[in-house]
Amino acid sequence: MFSLFYGLWKYVFTKDELRVLILGVDKAGKTTLLEKLKSMYLNGEGLPPDRVVPTVGLNIGRIEDANAKLVFWDLGGQVGLRTIWEKYYEEAHAIIYVIDAATASSFEDSKSALEKVIRHEHLKGAPLLIVANKQDVPGVIDDEELAKFLHLKELDERPYMFQAVSAYNGRGIKSGINWLVEQMEKSKRTETLKAHNGVAGQI
Amino acid sequence: MGIVFTRLFSSLFGNREARILVLGLDNAGKTTILYRLQMGEVVSTIPTIGFNVETVQYNNIKFQVWDLGGQTSIRPYWRCYFPNTQAIIYVVDSSDTERLVTAKEEFHAILEEDELKGAVVLVYANKQDLPGALDDAAITESLELHKIKSRQWAIFKTSAIKGEGLFEGLDWLSNTLKSGSS
Repeated sequence: MFSLFYGLWKYVFTKDELRVLILGVDKAGKTTLLEKLKSMYLNGEGLPPDRVVPTVGLNIGRIEDANAKLVFWDLGGQVGLRTIWEKYYEEAHAIIYVIDAATASSFEDSKSALEKVIRHEHLKGAPLLIVANKQDVPGVIDDEELAKFLHLKELDERPYMFQAVSAYNGRGIKSGINWLVEQMEKSKRTETLKAHNGVAGQI
Repeated sequence: MGIVFTRLFSSLFGNREARILVLGLDNAGKTTILYRLQMGEVVSTIPTIGFNVETVQYNNIKFQVWDLGGQTSIRPYWRCYFPNTQAIIYVVDSSDTERLVTAKEEFHAILEEDELKGAVVLVYANKQDLPGALDDAAITESLELHKIKSRQWAIFKTSAIKGEGLFEGLDWLSNTLKSGSS
């Protein structure tokens, strides 16, 4: 009897895990963003920016806010490692794409890598948060300027937003995450993924 | 009383201990890596039957590193050492392309183990000094590292003989164990 109620309780109140991929070219600030997220949502955990080293693999962060349980997958952005990005697409609910908005020389590379991400069929309908990062650095451009500069086509098929962020001091992170959670909750993709869930154990 | 002070001291200065298993096929370079990390020099090794265990102090973490023999006949005994392991260092001979499939199978069998569910994974693509050694991207592909989705992993190109890449890997490991993310 107890287990029946417990089951019902769990069914009603358990939050689904939403998986967010953090992508972007190397040195964009993906891992710094992840660590900042952890320190903001988990009270103090998370590495300080000066201890972050280039990622050659996968970093994971799990946070929980009032509405959702979020799992972040932060993948290395060096050219040779970008081939593994797509292996994580199918199971991702949404994408955060990080761009170093203070380094104009990285924009072309960022743009072409992002276009590839957007075109990939396994990411159909996934909400996309494009982060104009490093707002703490002098000479940085803001979210609107970045949007103009990137001039992306084929964005209309999905909810997307540009957000000015400093992964260093935390500016813009909360509002970006709030938007993303809201989008994921009403996204068709989330429904589809739910239907496919629980097929196999993960390693 | 002494214990209280020790605890206080280590919590103040961030000393931690971590139990690490070094695994991989025979002749991957596990023992050479262990002693490179521990003594900073290359020792001549013979195939390990059983295990070697040493403590390596690095970045305020005391790594208790277990190097388990890699031959087929003794791989089943790896399991005895699985409980309470925080991290696995999986060593691959990047030049031994013929046995990469076996290396992959053993690797994924380890990841399936319940007692290692919480362990983070560091891969050393070792023997980069040898001609024909595959790079980190190719080893990532061969080992199918992308199938790992619920724990953190990283891969480093290493040459145990030259001492390259090993401490970069330990940097990652100590960061990951400290940031306590998963």
